[in-house]
Amino acid sequence: MIIRKIQIENYLCYYDTNTFELSNGLNIILGENGEGKTKFYEAIDWLFNGENRELDMLVSAKKLNEAEIGESFRVRVSMTVDQDGKKSIITKSFLAMKEKANHCYTSSFMIEGIEENKIGERIQVDGKTLLDNIFPFQIRKYSMFKGEAELNIFESESALTDLINLFSDAKHYHKYSEKGAFLREKAEKAVEESSKLDKKNDSLYKRLEGEIFQLERDKDSYKVHLNATEEEILKIEGYLQEAERHVSNADALEIINNRIKGIEEKISFATGRIDENYTTSLFDDNWILVNFEAFQREYADKVSAHSKKRRELQSEYDKQKGIREGEKKAKAELLNNSVPLPIGVPSKSHMEEMLNDEICKVCNREAKKGSEAYDYMMKRLITYLQSQSVKESEPENDNPLFKFDYTNRLESLSYSHEDNLKNLRLIRTRITDLFEFNDKRKREIEEQNEKLENEKSEREKILGKSSIGAEKLSDVLKNYNVWQKEIKNKNQDQNDYNSKLKNIEYDLKTKKEEKDNIDKNSASSFLIKTRNILRDIETIFIDTKENKFDEFIEKLQTKSNNFFKRINIDSFTGTIVFTRRNKVNRTIVEVELQEDGRKFYKPNQSLETSMHISILFAISELAFESKNQNFPMIFDAPTSSFGENKTAQFLNLIFETENQKILLIKDFLYTDRMTKILSIKKEFENVKRDKAFWVKLERPFDPNNLKTINSQVIAL
Amino acid sequence: MAKKDEVLKSFLTHELLFRKYEVQEENLPKTVREALTSDISIVKAIALIVEGLDGTSPVTEHVLRNQVIQFLNEAL
Repeated sequence: MIIRKIQIENYLCYYDTNTFELSNGLNIILGENGEGKTKFYEAIDWLFNGENRELDMLVSAKKLNEAEIGESFRVRVSMTVDQDGKKSIITKSFLAMKEKANHCYTSSFMIEGIEENKIGERIQVDGKTLLDNIFPFQIRKYSMFKGEAELNIFESESALTDLINLFSDAKHYHKYSEKGAFLREKAEKAVEESSKLDKKNDSLYKRLEGEIFQLERDKDSYKVHLNATEEEILKIEGYLQEAERHVSNADALEIINNRIKGIEEKISFATGRIDENYTTSLFDDNWILVNFEAFQREYADKVSAHSKKRRELQSEYDKQKGIREGEKKAKAELLNNSVPLPIGVPSKSHMEEMLNDEICKVCNREAKKGSEAYDYMMKRLITYLQSQSVKESEPENDNPLFKFDYTNRLESLSYSHEDNLKNLRLIRTRITDLFEFNDKRKREIEEQNEKLENEKSEREKILGKSSIGAEKLSDVLKNYNVWQKEIKNKNQDQNDYNSKLKNIEYDLKTKKEEKDNIDKNSASSFLIKTRNILRDIETIFIDTKENKFDEFIEKLQTKSNNFFKRINIDSFTGTIVFTRRNKVNRTIVEVELQEDGRKFYKPNQSLETSMHISILFAISELAFESKNQNFPMIFDAPTSSFGENKTAQFLNLIFETENQKILLIKDFLYTDRMTKILSIKKEFENVKRDKAFWVKLERPFDPNNLKTINSQVIAL
Repeated sequence: MAKKDEVLKSFLTHELLFRKYEVQEENLPKTVREALTSDISIVKAIALIVEGLDGTSPVTEHVLRNQVIQFLNEAL
């Protein structure tokens, strides 16, 4: 859409009919203060948004003065627009009738619309509807800006919501997250009702529901506190940075601030390490064992002696066993390894007979009592008799000496106690150590506090060398120290709230899991499955909406920074950063300028203006992308803080951008001191533009007499 | 691409479908019409919601609830 022509008739300083034939691209309207620039802007604003009251205030005083009493004339602002090859004219006007000198009666205004098709046929239509069709209200809001202050459209929290509604896809997904929540809630309710039919869990279920409800409320409440605290931190950081701006040695101040922060962190760390809960050690389970060492020593000695005795016995047993084995072997060797007769051969009665007769009837030889043969026979008989008697406790040859190894267990116990003695000895000294440790930390804190005081007084010295007067400085210093203290407290609050929220989230998760477990056992399984799928669908809907939102913000950020760098070529810019902040029940986006990730609180006006203009151009590009159409942008004095050089650079840059721009500026005009003649500076010749005008008051005029005021429009 | 198909596509690219429901990317429907005949319950349920909200004849909240919850209760 392009505004081809603006006509202003008898509207304030524009006497009679004044025409601005505009071009696509960059249109510059030059004008000194008070010569008609802002009235041009206001005329268009009246055409778009003006109300039907105090219309007599809009009448050209010069025209009214010239009119006869009873004579009527029209006050009119008209805009001719080209859109997709179609011409439209929107005219807002009213009649003024002079009743007496300096007074007129005015009719209500009317808005007329004319559409002209490609073959030149004109159709009369409703002007307001036509205006809203070709230049929608929401887009006009991002198209017209008066002065530098109005450029910061994000000062209003609703600005972002409007932007998203206009240009982003996120709005479309909002209904999905709403319906996702609705369906999930219905499914949750169905599961709960089914679970409640199982009376055995009734009281537990009700208790869990109550606890979850309370936790959700606590969570919301802490979120409100956290948001408020974060906002206050941002505000205080801004105050601090503003105060620091007055300081001549900003670098040194930053170093000292960092040092102070480091010391405060050390103090906080040391304070956190102090543990004066001495009674814990006194009630330690092992406290009773502090005198155990002597008993252990006695026990260990006894076990050691017992072990030695046992080893001696075992050794003796092994020796005897070895001797027996050896005897067996020797006997075998004596018989020349032949196998001996079994015991009991000859029989017991034969043996007794032979002993009685003192004759060996096996070899038929005499065996007198006391002879070797007699003794041999006697030994055989004894061996036989011994083999027939039952010996109850005779140990088996293979049985070990000790059936159980208790000694080994006693030794292991002794070793284990020996190892633990070190810990037991420590019990005695633990409390002393704790006292010593805490005392050391306290001394550290004292030292750090001393350092902190020194750093703070150093900081005050630096603050003292400030660019503001002594009186104001004392206020700044007083506030500065209060703010520093305040921000420390707020940071602590922020940490506390975050940790409380984390605990609540954990408790909520546990309670919900507990409730889900009851559902699992009590509710119908198909209801649970339906609920679980609808929970996932809600997650998918919410995530998708947030992704679309973030994509839009990222796009806006990238586009804004592209313009920003080009406007501030070769000079410091920093980066424009859009931050999404979720507040309770709503999401807002904050825009800030950052330098190395740190917020730049008070950029100078020129930097701030170029940041805002960059964002506006980015929005304009987004408007083109989403509506496939360009819309004009009208700025009244947007670059007052730039200075002529930067304004020229800025104009040359925006000349390259796509859409139509109408800029009203007071630069490039020069009044000759001698002749008082106003003229355009040569430098303006180097400014790229598609069309330029100069609005200037017809000379001579009396600044105190409106009847002499007439802005002339000169096409350059 | 119709708006409703575009909306469906943006939902069906969510990682939850691949991770938890083990949906294969090549099995994902391209249109709402196709998704309404899907064998994967969550995909069909999403398609029902998209059709209900962005289809040719949008349905009321009550009808949407009946359609989606009834389908899932029967399918699972």
